[in-house]
Amino acid sequence: MLSFRGLFWLLSGLVALVNSKSSAGDSVLVVVEPNHRDNYSIFFDGLKEQGYELTFRQPKEDGPLIIQDDVPNFSHVILFASETKNLGKDITPQSLVHLLSLNTNILVALSTKQTQLSSLATEFSLILPPPGTPLVSYFPERQDSASLIPVAITANPVVSKDLPPVWFSGVPQALGSNPHLVPILRAPPQSFASEIDGGSADALVEAAEKGGEGLWAGSQLSLVTGFQTLTGSRITWVGGVSLFNDELAQKEVAKGVKSGNAQFAREVAAWTFQESQVLRIDRVEHHLVNVTEPKEQYTNNDNIVYTAYISKYDVKTSSWKPYSGLTELQLEFTMLDPFIRTALPPVAGSPGKYSVTFRAPDRHGVFKFVIDYKRKGWTHLHSSTTVAVVPPRHDGYPRFLSAAWPYYAGAISTSIGFFLFSALWLGGEVREIKKGKGSKAE
Amino acid sequence: MAPKPTSPPATAVNPLQTLWKVYNDNTPHRLKFIDAFLFFLMLSGIIQFAYCILVSNYPYNAFLSGFSSTVGQFVLVASLRSQVNPQNKDEFKDVSPERAFADFAIGSIVLHFFVYNFLG
Repeated sequence: MLSFRGLFWLLSGLVALVNSKSSAGDSVLVVVEPNHRDNYSIFFDGLKEQGYELTFRQPKEDGPLIIQDDVPNFSHVILFASETKNLGKDITPQSLVHLLSLNTNILVALSTKQTQLSSLATEFSLILPPPGTPLVSYFPERQDSASLIPVAITANPVVSKDLPPVWFSGVPQALGSNPHLVPILRAPPQSFASEIDGGSADALVEAAEKGGEGLWAGSQLSLVTGFQTLTGSRITWVGGVSLFNDELAQKEVAKGVKSGNAQFAREVAAWTFQESQVLRIDRVEHHLVNVTEPKEQYTNNDNIVYTAYISKYDVKTSSWKPYSGLTELQLEFTMLDPFIRTALPPVAGSPGKYSVTFRAPDRHGVFKFVIDYKRKGWTHLHSSTTVAVVPPRHDGYPRFLSAAWPYYAGAISTSIGFFLFSALWLGGEVREIKKGKGSKAE
Repeated sequence: MAPKPTSPPATAVNPLQTLWKVYNDNTPHRLKFIDAFLFFLMLSGIIQFAYCILVSNYPYNAFLSGFSSTVGQFVLVASLRSQVNPQNKDEFKDVSPERAFADFAIGSIVLHFFVYNFLG
């Protein structure tokens, strides 16, 4: 019985290990105060169960390094030491940006204190209120402090909408106009940033006037904000680290309803660590209609079939699965400007295949097939294939067109006329001359 | 001036009729035969040109060859006509009608060779 149970655990552990690797790798560095580590046991255990290898590091420690010899040591980094002024020597805003460009994902918690991270947040178009001003809301009426707020989950591209509200306590972010931002959790409409945490009202008003974006208030604020870089790596800014802790995960949000914190944290981590909403283009093909081989160059007005195969990362099997769910994929055929921009619809019956047939423009030059799919929350898809479009060869033009029949008839009738004329002229010569002579004689 | 209203039909028809009559009476059959061919070529050229302007000049090479075949043939036939015309005997003393026709035939064959080369 014991051995059976042991085997079961071993198997389930193996399954979990196989099941849950992210598409980017499964080593995670967690920077957290050692005495706070146990506060997040639900979140960390969840990640471990998923198959992530967590490495803990104290904020003041110098190792393990996040980047060694310009190679990232971990696939993902979690920065929960939000109140610490100085993280280790190697964790600086510059090194974090470098980490993102090396395709490492980062989950960052902010706090109401001014740290290096809050100045880094500004670089990501997040506009933080002045230090010491957390989000406050007096609605709905509740026993807790005004800065611990239940936040209902609104429409967003990352987290499922049917979660119960999550408890949030921390700093809100006004969003700049950066298109790479993915707001995940919006503040409730009645909430605002206030100075209860040791900040001053004057500083708040002054900052609001200086920034020109108004007060930090209402539902345009974001509490959890994702950011996807051009290389596909993801960084998520969370306004308060308490969102992940066990206490709020267990806390009831209404009578008998547990808060959505645990599940929310899990889904935010899944998005950040490139488990969910990760797409890739496996390959693209192009060829003439009714032909299978691609061509280096096409001729004006050729009918071209363009096909793209797109996969989505599937966490359950930790593999790439063909994905036909993109409804608004577009194909552009460009020579500087898109000469053709057309929908690239999924092909029914063959998963992951998107195909379109179109006629090449009546222009010659070097063209590109371009797929450029950028949607909030999803991996950006980009594919570019260069082909030449050339005019027809001298013998490639269409011949004997129906429009030219009058000209053909004209030329042929002239020839026939010439032959008839010659025949009659020669045949009638004697008679004509005789006649001519006769008439002259007359 | 009074009879004018009644006379126009007569006077208007008269010059043309006279012209036609004089032509009919004074022109040898040969030349009439040549003129018929010229008239046909002219019609064919006019039709092609009108089609080109009104409908489409798209296969432009076809138009060029079709139209130039009628024009070229017209020129050749016209020169044949002037050479075989008895009235021009003084001018073409050393050109017999047979020689004129041979020139005409060779010129036409060369012309048609070019036309068909360019037509398709």
